[in-house]
Amino acid sequence: MIDRSTPSSCSLGEVMIYQIARTIEDGIVAFHGFGSPLVQLALHLAKRTHAPRLVLVAGATYGVNPTPPFLAPTTNDWVMDRGAECHLDIEELFDLAASGRVGRMFLSGLQIDRWGNMNVTRLGQERLKLKLPGGGGGCNLSCDAQHVTIWTAAHRAPPDPNGRRRFRLVEGCDFVTSVGHRTTDGKTRSDMRYRGHGPDWLVTELGIFDFDEAGHARLAAVYPDVEVAEVRKNTGFEFPMREDLSSVVLPTPEMVALIRALDPLRVHERELRPEERARRFPVT
Amino acid sequence: MYSEANKRCDLKTLLRYVRDGDCVAIGGGLSWREPMAALRELIRQGIGGLRLVGSAHGIDVDMLCGAGLVASSAESYVGFEQDFGMAPNYRRACESGTVEVYDSCCYTLVQQLRAAIAGLPFMPIRSVRGTSFMPLHPEFKTMFCPFTGEELVLVPALQPDVAILHAQYSDAHGNLHIEGPPVADILFARASRTVIATVEKIVPHEQLSEIGVTIPYFYVTALTEVPYGAHPTSCYPFYAYDRRHTAEYYRCASEGAEVFRARYLQSYVYGCPSHAEYLEAIGGAEPLQRLATWEQGVDAWRDLYD
Repeated sequence: MIDRSTPSSCSLGEVMIYQIARTIEDGIVAFHGFGSPLVQLALHLAKRTHAPRLVLVAGATYGVNPTPPFLAPTTNDWVMDRGAECHLDIEELFDLAASGRVGRMFLSGLQIDRWGNMNVTRLGQERLKLKLPGGGGGCNLSCDAQHVTIWTAAHRAPPDPNGRRRFRLVEGCDFVTSVGHRTTDGKTRSDMRYRGHGPDWLVTELGIFDFDEAGHARLAAVYPDVEVAEVRKNTGFEFPMREDLSSVVLPTPEMVALIRALDPLRVHERELRPEERARRFPVT
Repeated sequence: MYSEANKRCDLKTLLRYVRDGDCVAIGGGLSWREPMAALRELIRQGIGGLRLVGSAHGIDVDMLCGAGLVASSAESYVGFEQDFGMAPNYRRACESGTVEVYDSCCYTLVQQLRAAIAGLPFMPIRSVRGTSFMPLHPEFKTMFCPFTGEELVLVPALQPDVAILHAQYSDAHGNLHIEGPPVADILFARASRTVIATVEKIVPHEQLSEIGVTIPYFYVTALTEVPYGAHPTSCYPFYAYDRRHTAEYYRCASEGAEVFRARYLQSYVYGCPSHAEYLEAIGGAEPLQRLATWEQGVDAWRDLYD
């Protein structure tokens, strides 16, 4: 059953969807990849609230402005393509990015460093320890898309029985699948003459980071139930903070209701660890 | 050019176009329109040492890895998304070293195929520099553009030996009609030396003409009519993604290589010499009819995934 009543509280996933949606400008071409229901929902939320002129390109189907009746558990499903106004070819989408016409892309990583470099390819530098699924078109788009929103719902790095933490936000990536603001040999994006400007937001389940002048992740906001010390403890590198560090802005009841209507199967919760799914926030 | 009037053959014959050690491009993407019946036949024939190239894949590549037929992978993604997670057989094969890992990225692949399609030695791209894909792919070169002076990456032409596709319709001549996202199928067909296809239904050319030709016949080497040939991935409008069967697949694959062979491959591939026997093994008409219920409306569609 879909709950149609006005929500008085919302979940972490719903807050994260709203945080990602807030990074999306009206009137741009934005593209989401696959395996990213939080981002899919953020795009649909943005399109139905502050960004009605958004050119929403769905990952995998390459449908433009689809109106899926519900979020499917996999991305290349006709459900996700329903109502699409038109379609791109795979080459067309990437050509648009290469020519500077994709305004925003959304990327994640199993390792994310302070510059926004990310790894979704492999763990282990010398020897392959864990083969990750791979980055799809993330490598190309991290260079070419005008702006990148990074997200992860697994920033928290609880210590193992030996007290060691396997950080998601790491000192260095074992493999650079997608580039941020500084290459491993210290070159900036302008040195590299990339088409796009790189990541400007990093949304996690603990806080929101922007990137400072040097291109370094900088804490901009924390969730109401999170202390800055907790963010530091769970981050593998030191980071600066904005002077006007704020509390994460919570969605309105209408937005929360919209997200629930868009995702009746709660597919997006599969991106969250069970303990994170239990977090609740008031909405007014 | 493949100009024979009649490209039809049976599934066994179709897969004989794939040879040990071939560079193979598999059509479809993720849980959509994977040529699964053709891949099961490939496994039965034990054609191995395959070098895979592609964009975003899942059960297709994972199953070939589980059957031990893959030598290397230059896919850009292999997994089951948030639905089930990482690809168990693919992971094991990569981590044990039986599959050499040459991950690529979607646009890089697109440009390599376009070079092959145009008969050029390479295509330039601006991205990839500064990532670990450069040392992973020593065949990528850089140059300074003679017009703008900027540094570009040159990616070499990629001509797969064979593309294996599954489409909804074709005619006997080999014209293919793909309804819904073609993913990289059209690029694969144009770039590959050999193109083999399974289709849900072969129809007279006049009928195919009306719905439109996605891939012209002369690219297509041979084809076979295989209804439900993409199962358990989807082939709309005929059937949705079989999430239940995929869950069973995933459980078997997660329990290790031996369990996967004994419980999944034995039950659904080696133990089913024909596609008809596969359809019986998955439960016959009942599950297949269920997958067609998506057309009855949003509630029925959603129930398939609940």
